Amino acid sequence: MKRGALPAYLLALGALALLTLLAFGVGRYPLPPADLLALAANKLFGASYAIPPTAETVVLQVRGPRILAALLVGAALAGSGTAYQGMFRNPLVSPDILGVSAGAALGAVLGIFTSQSALVIQLAAFAGGLAAVGLVYFVGSRVRRYDPILSLILAGIVLGTLLGAFIALIKYLADPYNQLPAITYWLLGSLAAISPGDLALAAPFALAGLVPLFLLRWRINLLSLADDEARSLGVSLGRLRLAVVCAATLMTAAAVAISGIIGWVGLLIPHAARMLVGPEFSRLLPVAMALGAAFLLAVDTLCRTIAPIEVPPGVLTALIGTPFFLWIFVGARRAWQ
Amino acid sequence: MAVTLEARRLGYGYPGRAVGRNLDLALAPGEVLCVLGPNGGGKTTLFRTLLGLLPAQEGEVLLLGSPLEALPRAEIARRMGYVPQGSGAPFAFTVHENVLMGRTAHIGLFAAPGAADREAADRAIEALGIGALSARVLTELSGGERQLAMIARALAQGARALVLDEPTASLDFGNQVRVLRQIRRLAAEGYAVVFSTHDPGQAFLAASRVLLLAQGGALRQGPPADVVTADNLRAVYGVEVRIAAVDGARACLPVL
Amino acid sequence: MTRAALAALALVSVPALAQREMLDSAGRYVVVPAKVERVYAAGPPASVLVFAIDPDKLLGWTRAFHPSEKPFLEPRYADLPELGRLTGRGNTANAEALLKAHPDLIVDVGATAPVFASLADRVQQQTGLPYLLLDGRFEAIPDTLRALGHAMGDEASAERLARYCEQAIAEVKARVARVPPDRRPRAYYARGPQGLVTALGGSINAQVMEFLGAKNVAGATQGGLANVSLEQVLGWDPEVIFTNDPNFYREVWQDARWQAISAVRAKRVFLAPHLPFGWFDYPPGANRIIGLYWAGKILYPDLFPEDLRAKTAEFYRLFYHREPAAAQLDALLGEPGVMPK
Repeated sequence: MKRGALPAYLLALGALALLTLLAFGVGRYPLPPADLLALAANKLFGASYAIPPTAETVVLQVRGPRILAALLVGAALAGSGTAYQGMFRNPLVSPDILGVSAGAALGAVLGIFTSQSALVIQLAAFAGGLAAVGLVYFVGSRVRRYDPILSLILAGIVLGTLLGAFIALIKYLADPYNQLPAITYWLLGSLAAISPGDLALAAPFALAGLVPLFLLRWRINLLSLADDEARSLGVSLGRLRLAVVCAATLMTAAAVAISGIIGWVGLLIPHAARMLVGPEFSRLLPVAMALGAAFLLAVDTLCRTIAPIEVPPGVLTALIGTPFFLWIFVGARRAWQ
Repeated sequence: MAVTLEARRLGYGYPGRAVGRNLDLALAPGEVLCVLGPNGGGKTTLFRTLLGLLPAQEGEVLLLGSPLEALPRAEIARRMGYVPQGSGAPFAFTVHENVLMGRTAHIGLFAAPGAADREAADRAIEALGIGALSARVLTELSGGERQLAMIARALAQGARALVLDEPTASLDFGNQVRVLRQIRRLAAEGYAVVFSTHDPGQAFLAASRVLLLAQGGALRQGPPADVVTADNLRAVYGVEVRIAAVDGARACLPVL
Repeated sequence: MTRAALAALALVSVPALAQREMLDSAGRYVVVPAKVERVYAAGPPASVLVFAIDPDKLLGWTRAFHPSEKPFLEPRYADLPELGRLTGRGNTANAEALLKAHPDLIVDVGATAPVFASLADRVQQQTGLPYLLLDGRFEAIPDTLRALGHAMGDEASAERLARYCEQAIAEVKARVARVPPDRRPRAYYARGPQGLVTALGGSINAQVMEFLGAKNVAGATQGGLANVSLEQVLGWDPEVIFTNDPNFYREVWQDARWQAISAVRAKRVFLAPHLPFGWFDYPPGANRIIGLYWAGKILYPDLFPEDLRAKTAEFYRLFYHREPAAAQLDALLGEPGVMPK
């Protein structure tokens, strides 16, 4: 294994396991550890301890899916952020750069505005995210004058702004007593309403996005070279970029559809991971995803326990993420790019 | 002796703008071609066309006997290596990781480098004499060391033709000498090398042929002694030089 | 003249005076013309009250009616123009459009905090039109009706409505007072398609629920609306759930996670009626008086024996000037989730 990688892997996986166990143990519903252990024994070893039925519902239907969703969304956002930062050769890039969040937001907001069911809202968000990126990619690839990467970024910014304007318009027209609060809460992001159905919806798409990223993990390193260099090494740049965009978009759209917009994870975590293990993508991707999952799980656990009402995760990701990032930045033995 | 890299009646340029016409080139293994010329004279355009990154406007380029257009990109990569100019901020890959990228054309689409690829990378690193730097990060190296790492990457490709774009630009004197020494050594081992430079003296040091480019196309092509003359340089650069012979070697001295 | 004397004058209300000065609920002195024929209601609660007192004086609604809401009003009233709102969240009215409609009086009913008072001042200054800001709290509705009636010159009509409200509020209050604490159920107000937005303690949205003595499970925290997690709702385990979202009402029965809650197991989830104006939460105006009887019937069926259809017909006749036909009552009260099975 390459140098520096093993400790980082262990750190990430260890943190993940510990956090998951901890997360199962805390929550607004009073669940004594004894009941939790009894339930685990029942399900894993076929024992038959008596537990209050609501406790089982809480752990298997409410807390469990929420924890899994936090892991999924955190890993998806971190993974796609890592891919995009490599592809755009820029550590300031987040998964939103091509407009997937703006598109998903518009889809969801339209769904809320037209009083759709929760499932339709999620599907609309997913479709909106994909459509936005599709449009950005289409426009970006038609512009021949500029460097292809720059075209994509510009198209992403333009479309993101346009979609933002539509969202603002809908917020303005929405019924301020019924629809506007729902819209606001969706835009702030939250894992409070995750159901097992949500996971069943998002997981396949997120995995579908992960598979190409995983298969191409070594090739993606080549995207950090200048265009001429990469081509002269034998890379089909256009197709590789398209594959990365599709994969990252699937992952992000699936995550945003069930969680709303949670910022900072896709931007900070890849950066932090890069500082730990360097930019080599086949090493960086798993570490970033594990770190992202752990981070969002920690944040979401706090969101649902520190106050009597839910705290929007976007607030905590910024509050916690920034010092955490500074700690790594200062403490890293060498300055990675 | 089979020709490694050849251009026949090559016309090169961008859509709507021709930069050079009617260029004939033939480079055999062991030959070093030095391309001289002012900025804007078309060196980069020519190189991109020779590398297959820019389609030829007229004529054709042949690599190991096959026309470039007929070769898939991966095959071109296996036969010809590109060493870019040393400018630009590198990513913090290690030398080994960087050289390993040269093996792209030998690795399947979804695969990662295998033992054979790692060995090829190691060999290329040793060949350039930078074995001690293998685990070092690119951003921590000197310009010259980075340049050698880039050459190693081109070697790892398995290429027999090497195209180096201003390999000594922004290098200190010592590193410039090291790079030129490598070029001569590679030629001695049978590589066909093309490099561009702003220093006519380097043509005398490392090249077996010189191509002098000016606005509109090739001015002269031939052995260094024939091409690097005071008249030619005056015509192309607009400055006075004196060609001197020192112990059998030639030097180009500008008259200030 | 001293302010006290002016206030006294306002109370005396001599119609012969060319103009009258009134003290509104925000402590502002507003000069109101002697004859008021055209009233602009700046927000939905005001619209309901102005319409109830004298529908012909209302210039327009803050937003157009949904087709399902229109049949409950006379067509000429249902089709009044949409003029936008001046206050509350999101202002959509335009000062020039306001002037074009040339009302004699602008009325707003709701919160009377200084921020809203200053908004009223600003509009008054900008348009030169008198702007009355009246208290929208439940208990203040009768007095607000009277003040509004006085301003509009429809004291008789306003008095009738005010008495109805006073009587209803007193009646409900008395009934609720008889309920011992252990019979007051734990209630949860589920908003939004997933039912996880709720009204905290003391919020205007939970007022009907809390007035009826139900224990708002989210009431430990004071505030407005808030996002909560399902785990929390499971922890609270409400006995009754009120909701404003038909999607939530439809889906809650299929959702395995909600089945663990007592209210869902006992099939005590209720959808608030909302035609033409909401009964439970929005708009926060006099329209909620009828909601007291509906929710009361759900919470304490033995204490609210009256026939809801008759009560609804009476209320609608009085406040909305149209007695609903039997089919309309069916549509209103027969919507799935409105009445206990």
